[in-house]
Amino acid sequence: MSFSGKNIRNGIYAAVAVCWIAAPVFLSNYQTDVLNNIAIYALLGLSLNIILGYGGMFHMGHAAFFAIGAYTTAIINTSYGIPVLWLLPLSGITAGVFALVVARPIIHLRGDYLLIVTIGMVEIVRIALVNNIFGITGGPNGIFGIASPQVFGHPINGIVSPGHYFYLLTAFLAFTIAVFYLLEHSRYGRALKYLCSDSIAAEGSGIDTSGYKLSAFVIGAFWAGMVGNLYAGKITFISPESFSFWESVVMFMIVILGGAGSIPGVLLGAILIIGLPEFFQELQQYRLLIFGIALVAMMIFRPQGILPPKPHTYPVDKLDEKEVTL
Amino acid sequence: MKKILFMLIGVSLLFAGPVFSSDTIKIGLMCPLTGSWASEGKDMRQIVELLAGQVNEEGGLLGKQVEIVVADDGGDPRTAALAAQRLASRGIVGVIGTYGSSVTEASQNIYAATNTLQIANGSTSVRLTEKGLPYFFRTCPRDDEQGRVAVEAMLEKGYKRIAILHDSTTYARGLADEARTLLADADAQVVFFDALTPGEQDYTTILTQIRRDEPDVVFFTGYYPEAGMLLRQKMEMGLNVPFIGGDANNNPDLVKIAGNRAAKGFRFLSPPVPQDLPSPVAQDFLAAYIEKYGQAPGSIWAVLAGDGFRVLAKAIAETGSTETATLAAYLKNDLQAFPGLTGMINFDEKGDRIGDVYRVYEVDEEGNFILQM
Repeated sequence: MSFSGKNIRNGIYAAVAVCWIAAPVFLSNYQTDVLNNIAIYALLGLSLNIILGYGGMFHMGHAAFFAIGAYTTAIINTSYGIPVLWLLPLSGITAGVFALVVARPIIHLRGDYLLIVTIGMVEIVRIALVNNIFGITGGPNGIFGIASPQVFGHPINGIVSPGHYFYLLTAFLAFTIAVFYLLEHSRYGRALKYLCSDSIAAEGSGIDTSGYKLSAFVIGAFWAGMVGNLYAGKITFISPESFSFWESVVMFMIVILGGAGSIPGVLLGAILIIGLPEFFQELQQYRLLIFGIALVAMMIFRPQGILPPKPHTYPVDKLDEKEVTL
Repeated sequence: MKKILFMLIGVSLLFAGPVFSSDTIKIGLMCPLTGSWASEGKDMRQIVELLAGQVNEEGGLLGKQVEIVVADDGGDPRTAALAAQRLASRGIVGVIGTYGSSVTEASQNIYAATNTLQIANGSTSVRLTEKGLPYFFRTCPRDDEQGRVAVEAMLEKGYKRIAILHDSTTYARGLADEARTLLADADAQVVFFDALTPGEQDYTTILTQIRRDEPDVVFFTGYYPEAGMLLRQKMEMGLNVPFIGGDANNNPDLVKIAGNRAAKGFRFLSPPVPQDLPSPVAQDFLAAYIEKYGQAPGSIWAVLAGDGFRVLAKAIAETGSTETATLAAYLKNDLQAFPGLTGMINFDEKGDRIGDVYRVYEVDEEGNFILQM
């Protein structure tokens, strides 16, 4: 990797970030709302990326954690009137605890076996919501009348002014990218990638593989729960249909198509998977057909994803002699 | 570099946006063009576009041509919220649609916030008009009305042991609960009350459970794809219990899925289709539709979208206005016994359609839907 190549890349990232932040000024409410949806799915994709991209675990039930976060927010907000944003950490914790309980017994499963179990999990969660579990989820009708979030006393209404919500989501997205970037480049992130590419070698090097995998699962779920909170505050009405198996597939596609394990890849994946069907709105009933063809073409020409993670290089001459590596 | 270029082109096309022009009257149509209810959405679009074409041939409304702006709600709440944002930013006078109740619910707040008139065509959930939204209407009846007619029809036949099967969607569960509540006061017993999972291929397990409880009749409140599968598998299992369906079964695909033999004798509730209505409005519409598309409209819900368009067009023409408040006031107070494609149309204060709409249909040997009573 040459120095100038890195500069160009950073330049592109900066330009994209500036365009993104300035976008709502020029766009209509609808177009801004498309960006909001992209941001929500980018956040979900990034949280799934911890599990699927770094950890290499085929997890296709991410909508379950998203749903648990959203329902936690909806139930507590409508019953006790606690402001939505205060519930952000709690939504994450509920989803994280659920992930811990569910994933503990299945974490040793490999590849497709884990995939099947996680599909089962997301369906069970959805059906439990439909059947009004504990009498609090509102059954198939869902829950309506969730309050909009407030920042310093200003209500941010995702319906009336998507532009305001856009900046709330963007702030959270920026925070997420920063945290996950640090995570990726930490000892923890390297260990996850190591066990992803060769778990036996990783175990031999003293990495507690199932402990790491479990913690990756919980972190991913925690984040998805927090996104659920923001989603509930945006749409103010949630029903089990918003958390179908298809939603999990969409998140899975975002990560795989964009480039598993790569933050820019996941962001691009979210733009394509959520943005393209809206772009094809004019084609009406053919839009998903075109979308499908585009997906197939991309997977044929870029099976590793559009922006796969670059392998890390550690040039010997630049290593600090005292540096402790993994 | 090529990749980035491609992306930029894509993104810029995405936000190219519509060119605004004020020399047409824009009416939104929100319908499921993709997803499992796509056939409904296609019919809705064809009917509304046909009617808009007729209005335009006669000179349009207020001297302007009518333009239909279509948005796909995908049959799911998130896509519907986007579709609503999209339509609301297009300068439309009002919006027709949509089909599913939870899908409509997700869009309601957006139209309410932007003061857009909405006339739903297939959303029968009671809650939708109980929120006090001033600009929400629907041309379809509510679930409580349907539940009442269904229970009457079953009791009239002398059924005593009744099984109720729903699919856990807002609509089906609402109707099932309504029927169960009404049956509690009647001289009959609910022996089975459960849900199936929509979209599966094999319902023999749930049919076996139903057989065990020995009902006289099964009331299925879900949608036509599952009803078709149930009927076929019921025949294959040799289970000989009559089925009654809710109004979401009024779609010819039901017979295609079940086959003629299995569908024979299946009864369902529905507002009458135009074929069964003698009024000249309905007959003229039917003739025009068949001439343009080669067959009769498949489902009543799409025809109700046509009625939504017709009352909106009537309101615009009568009031000479495109103001939401004026149009809503006209629909609530001044529109009396408007001859719709599905019978007389009046709206009450909540925006619900008033009047006795439901009929019982039975499928005959050739898979035709025959109006009973």
